[in-house]
Amino acid sequence: MINRCRLIAALALLAFIVCAGAMPTLAQAPVKIGVLTPLSPPGDASAGQFIVRGAKMGAEDVNARGGVLGGRKIELVIEDDSGTPEKGAAGFRKLATQDRAVAVIGQFHSSVMGAVQDLAEQFKIPVFSTQASAKGITERHLTYTFRTHVIDPDRVALWNRWIKQQGFKRVVVLAENTDYGVGVVEDCKRLFKSMDVGAELKTMIFDRAVVDLTPQLLEIKSWKPDLFINVGIGTPTYLIIKQASDVGLFPATPMLVSYDLPSRPEFWKNLGEKGNYLTFIVYYHPTMKLTPRGEAFRTKYRAEFKEDPVYGALNGFAQIWLLADALNAAKSDTGDNLAKALLAGKFEGWNGAISFTRGEGPYWQQWTPPMLFMQYTKPDQAFTEAKIIFPPEFKTGDLLKK
Amino acid sequence: MDVYLLSQYVLSGVVIGVVYSLMALGITFIYGIMKMINWAMGEFYMIGSYVQYALLATLLGPGQWWIALPLAMGAVFVLGLLTQRLLLRPMYVRGVERRDEYATIVTIVLMVLFRNLAVVLGGPNQYAPRDYARPTTLLTLPISGNRFVALLATLVLLGLFYLLVKRTWVGKAFRGAAQNRVGIQTAGVDVLRLDMVAFGVGVALAAAAGALLAPDFLVYPEGGAISTFKGFEIIVIGGLGSILGSVVGGVLLGVIEALGSVFLSPAYKDLYGFVFLIALLVVRPTGLFGERERLV
Repeated sequence: MINRCRLIAALALLAFIVCAGAMPTLAQAPVKIGVLTPLSPPGDASAGQFIVRGAKMGAEDVNARGGVLGGRKIELVIEDDSGTPEKGAAGFRKLATQDRAVAVIGQFHSSVMGAVQDLAEQFKIPVFSTQASAKGITERHLTYTFRTHVIDPDRVALWNRWIKQQGFKRVVVLAENTDYGVGVVEDCKRLFKSMDVGAELKTMIFDRAVVDLTPQLLEIKSWKPDLFINVGIGTPTYLIIKQASDVGLFPATPMLVSYDLPSRPEFWKNLGEKGNYLTFIVYYHPTMKLTPRGEAFRTKYRAEFKEDPVYGALNGFAQIWLLADALNAAKSDTGDNLAKALLAGKFEGWNGAISFTRGEGPYWQQWTPPMLFMQYTKPDQAFTEAKIIFPPEFKTGDLLKK
Repeated sequence: MDVYLLSQYVLSGVVIGVVYSLMALGITFIYGIMKMINWAMGEFYMIGSYVQYALLATLLGPGQWWIALPLAMGAVFVLGLLTQRLLLRPMYVRGVERRDEYATIVTIVLMVLFRNLAVVLGGPNQYAPRDYARPTTLLTLPISGNRFVALLATLVLLGLFYLLVKRTWVGKAFRGAAQNRVGIQTAGVDVLRLDMVAFGVGVALAAAAGALLAPDFLVYPEGGAISTFKGFEIIVIGGLGSILGSVVGGVLLGVIEALGSVFLSPAYKDLYGFVFLIALLVVRPTGLFGERERLV
């Protein structure tokens, strides 16, 4: 009997020692967040690099302030999706099964986001669109899909307002054959009618892999548009600008680039003076008033990289903080609890409070940043010096035509 | 249909087709001598564009493209010699069975290796050298100065290549090797050394295309992928092993793609060449200028 008591006591002591030894390890186990983003072609690798940059700074910031869930550090697991759905899906599976990531951010290409969001449902892991804007992403009303970026119908509606304001009469849209490009063309056709834009619309979809667009640009030129909307992503955007300039289409005809690629530091290196007079959409401007968190990021970013942050970096940074706050609110790192906390809470973003509601259509678990139209008016002009030409409430200059 | 506009479409196809024929010429030349397909040809095109950009951005300055071009070709020629000597030559000296499969595997591995090396060394972003010349007009076609320069340089390179093959002793050896590798060895030609030079010349032609098109089509790790497809399409259209076929095939492909993308849909631009190729192979399996195999 005494021996049996001793045995039980010894086992209890052993169990205590094992648990006591394991507890600090468990408490300090990092919380892994996946950053699945394009870091190699054919994806927009430059965009992915900025997102990673922001996410890393976000994780450093969170960890420097004590981490999450009572002292656990955030650990980023970075995966390259190359802008292709198959690589995106493989990357997501790895993050979910091998790395045990609690959430995934960094999605840039809508086609890839479309592929990984089904996996997010399957593994019950929240996935964030950082810069993927196709409306179908949130229109599917999935539980684990969140977005802190604009949606394409809003983008198109805004440029329709601009077209009306400027009085453009012949508008051409040249879009790549991706979910983003095709979606924008469909939105354009629909909203041109419903918004009564009062201009003639011509749309063309090109194969993203094609590098010579001269015949299409000659055709566009012969149609004599008074506005040319460039819906390429990454390399095709540059090819269109260059080749449109070569055939004499741009800048004689104003060109609007559908996203913020021209705000990146490499823009002028790639285009030289051919980038002058370009109009483009941005979601961040250096004169914007940011939240304290956003302001601290901007100051640190400027000090570290000697340049202004671009929107992708800001959004990557904000999404890490958003997840950190949601993890603390949920007091749990399971995907289910995290998704509930994201829906219930209000979080400090880079330029305002972020909250997710389940609205109609694409406004499902969606938060939208502002959109501004900017224009370069001289070669090698700094992004900080470019004029805001639309919307009227933020305008600092008028559209300059050559 | 506006004839003026039609002439522009045709001319734009001709210009790009001629430049792409450099790539095709490289592929067909290597095939003609070594009887192997180099699947990494696009990567040699890409390396040519990187070397050109690096030379212009660092050593030479933006205006010196005409000095950078032969240097880029030379650098890739040397890389080609080394590649052939170290990786491809063993299959010719040791009587390897299934030599074609060996060459396919080696060059596909090289393709992946070079592409990833470009990401590691140059980063995944695009680069562009400054324009070689100001935009100009070719007959009815408004054209970038770069493409005009590329067209002229391609014509010069094609002329030099023709002279090399037709008017020099080495060219005679190349033609001999293309006809009969065993026969030419009996005439005292070191066919293994000839292979090495042929491989170097072939990849240097691809590098020239990459360097010439760099300002227009940008410099990035996957930049050669599309040109590889074009090169293979062209040699099948023109006839494998035919130099004239490479040029004619290039022009035909360029024009077909240009017209197809305008009159049908730009979304399927790459498809039109393949449809033409399939149709041509049904009627003429050897391509336009290819020859039937002659067995004795």
